[in-house]
Amino acid sequence: MSTLGTAGTKRSARHLLKANAWFVFAFLYVPIVVLVVFSFNDSERVNVWQGLSARWYGEALGNTQVIGALRVSLIVAISSTIVSTVLGTAVALALDRYRFKGRRALDGTVYLPIVIPDITMAVMLLVFFAEAFKLIDIIGPRFTLGVTTIALSHIAFNISFVAVVVRARLDQFDRTLEEAARDLYATPWRTFRRVTLPLIAPGIAAGALLALTLSLDDVVISAFTAGPGATTLPVYVFSTIRQGVTPELNAISTLMLAASITLVVASLALQRPRSTTP
Amino acid sequence: MSDDAAPAATPPGVPAVEMHGISKRFGEVVAVDGIDLHIGDGEFFALLGPSGCGKTTTLRMIAGLDIPSEGRLAIFGEEVASLPPDRRPVNTVFQAYALFPHMTVAQNIAFGLQMRGIRGPDADRQVAEATTLVQLEGMEHRRPSQLSGGQQQRVALARALVNHPKVLLLDEPLGALDLKLRQEMQVELKALQREVGITFVFVTHDQEEALAMSDRVGVMSEGRLLQVGTPTEVYEHPANRFVADFIGRTNLLEGVTEGPSAMRLDAGAVVAAPNELAAGTPAALSVRPEQVRLHRHGEAPEGEPCLDGVITDATYLGHAFVYTIAVGPTAGAGGTNDGDRTATITARSETGSAALAAGESVSVSWTPAATTVVAD
Repeated sequence: MSTLGTAGTKRSARHLLKANAWFVFAFLYVPIVVLVVFSFNDSERVNVWQGLSARWYGEALGNTQVIGALRVSLIVAISSTIVSTVLGTAVALALDRYRFKGRRALDGTVYLPIVIPDITMAVMLLVFFAEAFKLIDIIGPRFTLGVTTIALSHIAFNISFVAVVVRARLDQFDRTLEEAARDLYATPWRTFRRVTLPLIAPGIAAGALLALTLSLDDVVISAFTAGPGATTLPVYVFSTIRQGVTPELNAISTLMLAASITLVVASLALQRPRSTTP
Repeated sequence: MSDDAAPAATPPGVPAVEMHGISKRFGEVVAVDGIDLHIGDGEFFALLGPSGCGKTTTLRMIAGLDIPSEGRLAIFGEEVASLPPDRRPVNTVFQAYALFPHMTVAQNIAFGLQMRGIRGPDADRQVAEATTLVQLEGMEHRRPSQLSGGQQQRVALARALVNHPKVLLLDEPLGALDLKLRQEMQVELKALQREVGITFVFVTHDQEEALAMSDRVGVMSEGRLLQVGTPTEVYEHPANRFVADFIGRTNLLEGVTEGPSAMRLDAGAVVAAPNELAAGTPAALSVRPEQVRLHRHGEAPEGEPCLDGVITDATYLGHAFVYTIAVGPTAGAGGTNDGDRTATITARSETGSAALAAGESVSVSWTPAATTVVAD
């Protein structure tokens, strides 16, 4: 950079960057603001503003289909979160501290569901369930796609996310602390409960919240593995949108957005390093 | 603190720690190679050696954090080689202290008591005693991260001592502290050990620390225990070349033994040097700098081993001078070193005596009893 006009160049660079930051910010958030504002629109038609009202929230919550889908979403999200948190944490622990046969292979593939396209994962699971049902049918009970298959699919991808988050926490974990606990008469189990678990708990909780969010937001995989009787809320929204956007969908989307933001913020807060002041 | 602490039913004479042929291999690497060692009840014992010599692994085997590949290990007569760490009557002060960051100072100290089922007022009393012992009153509710290095160290000590272990293991306990604090803690640790009467086994690479603090020192190198003895013994009568060189500063004059009382030095003289090696063994004569006496050229007293040389460097240290002297047949002629035939000696002299300058011709002498002949 030439010395001549450096100050001017610097100033304009600063202004440009500032403008860009505002642009990006607007790009990200204007659609959200529009969605939220129009969810409070009194009008039957989405794009005609007719005054402020919470009527569509009332309509949405009074819609039995919406409530049914929400119920399925919550059952799937909560059950898949619990199972994947336990399994994902166990996988992370095993990969972090044991040398066993197939460890390297598992280490390389456990993260695969994170990078596999949703649509691939969805097709894959659908084919798998179809084949599995054929086998189970031979034994007796008839299985069909439904809440259980959605939950199993969510567990399948959530394990990976939980494992990644917990493993990051384990990387920072000082194993000498476990040795100190063992030296101070703690059995392996009590060492885990009193020292390891409390120290990696923020990682586990963050992983669980991430799993919950991903499960609540998922459309593609849920759509493929849902049966005729069971639809999650995002899948319901997606299917109704083909008949046109309604203010009711705005209201539902706004509620889902609020729930997701809450969960993500909580997850990030938990992943932050523990502050040193009491 | 020591009221109910005394390892009650220990018959006199049973060593606190007893190792027979202890080895530890990690895959191909032999970390510890056949150690035999007895550490007495109430002893302050230092395992000394350079990093990677196996001293920490030895300590970890006593703690139960590493399991010996071979050998027998007993603590006060009880075979423990296969016991897990939580079932051994020893506690450890870890190098970086390993305090539990999610617990307060009091909770850290109480941990071992809790794990042994001691709770309530009894535990509170013992925690308070341990806190007082290490002078941490008022810090009970702080977190380790809010303490200084020295304070963290005290917590680590209290957390171990509150359990009244039969043996306290310390892994480079002062390594993380700055020099001044380290010297203070040396004195304090020694006093603490006398007060609680527990056997202390501590690992260090700092020979001054080992000599200053311990009753006996075990010098290790490459997985082997080379010499065990009091600080005076290992300093004044090192068992071999490594120990002589590692403990303190010394002059190693290369040569060959000539019978049990003499040695021919490469530097050109046959000197009195009591030794137990076979005649003709290549060896080195270890002469400590403070044992070397300086004289004007040719004025060395009769009957003492002496060498002639030239001062090549004189360093003023305040309380003493340190001289570097080139000795040997060719040293006087221009002061050039011709490798094999010349040796370098460092000597210390009190500042009171007349200062000598570089370039002066001198004679050096010493008392044969103050030297040791060491082989590899």
